[in-house]
Amino acid sequence: MTDDPEAPPTPEETLRLIERQQAATVRQLKGEPLLLYLPWGVAWLIGFGAVFLHFGLDGRGLAPISQMQAVGVLQGAQVLAGAFAGFGIARRSRQVRGDASARGAMTGYSWAAGMALMIVICVRLSIALPEEEVQILWTGASLLVVGLMYMMSAAVWLEWPMFFLGAWTIAVDATGVMLGAGWQALLVAVLVGGGFIAASLWLRRRP
Amino acid sequence: MTADATPPPELDPVIHAQARLRVVAALNTLGDRDEMAFPALKDLLGMTAGNLSVHLTKLEDAGYVRITKTHKGRTPVTYVGLTKRGRLAFDEYTRAIRALLDHAGGSS
Repeated sequence: MTDDPEAPPTPEETLRLIERQQAATVRQLKGEPLLLYLPWGVAWLIGFGAVFLHFGLDGRGLAPISQMQAVGVLQGAQVLAGAFAGFGIARRSRQVRGDASARGAMTGYSWAAGMALMIVICVRLSIALPEEEVQILWTGASLLVVGLMYMMSAAVWLEWPMFFLGAWTIAVDATGVMLGAGWQALLVAVLVGGGFIAASLWLRRRP
Repeated sequence: MTADATPPPELDPVIHAQARLRVVAALNTLGDRDEMAFPALKDLLGMTAGNLSVHLTKLEDAGYVRITKTHKGRTPVTYVGLTKRGRLAFDEYTRAIRALLDHAGGSS
């Protein structure tokens, strides 16, 4: 071929070029970790941090913040995180169509269905429960959905970091539920929120 | 038969050009029925739209990629996917390159 002066010179370089290109493609198609993971980590660190300040570790609050205010902070932060993640997902899914978009759509609907059922169950049970148990129920159930969805999404996309993040979320959640509302909020803020922040930075740096 | 007597495997000239090799390598990471939007492919490869179009036409003429022009709402979108033939050609190309590498390593 005479029309392509930039033909790769050596077989080694050609193989390296192929590997680099494939790695770059996979990275771009996975989406931006700073949009997909970081906002959730920050939202949970702040939101569950506020919940922790309300409950404290021994039943006495650490700051003059009501449960409604704390949950308001958490909800607000999650809405913001959802907006960032939605933008990241929209940008990612624009790139490809075919089986990948079908997988993405089914995963998205599973999130919505899981969260909807979780809310129905929690609303129904909250009526009969004291304040602390209500908090444990909502946090415990929502993180059950989050953890499971991350583990299952990891299975769909064959993404080990996402799988471990889901498993980590479930393990922290289980521990928190057993220890009570204050501990649960503290553990989720630091370990799950912090875990998502760390994961997003690590995924970003990964070659 | 000695290693020196083995002729180097023929390299597919359509894929051997660096730009087209990168296009095919990128598309080969997608699933069999997945297609990539033209702008995403352009950004990924850092090529101009014109340059990428020229290479895609050559790949399409060889039967290695399928190009689908469609509409998303009112915006026209072009999707590019690797055909079975393109996938096969890429597999054969990488096998040939590896063979060349082994050949070079064995004879030196």
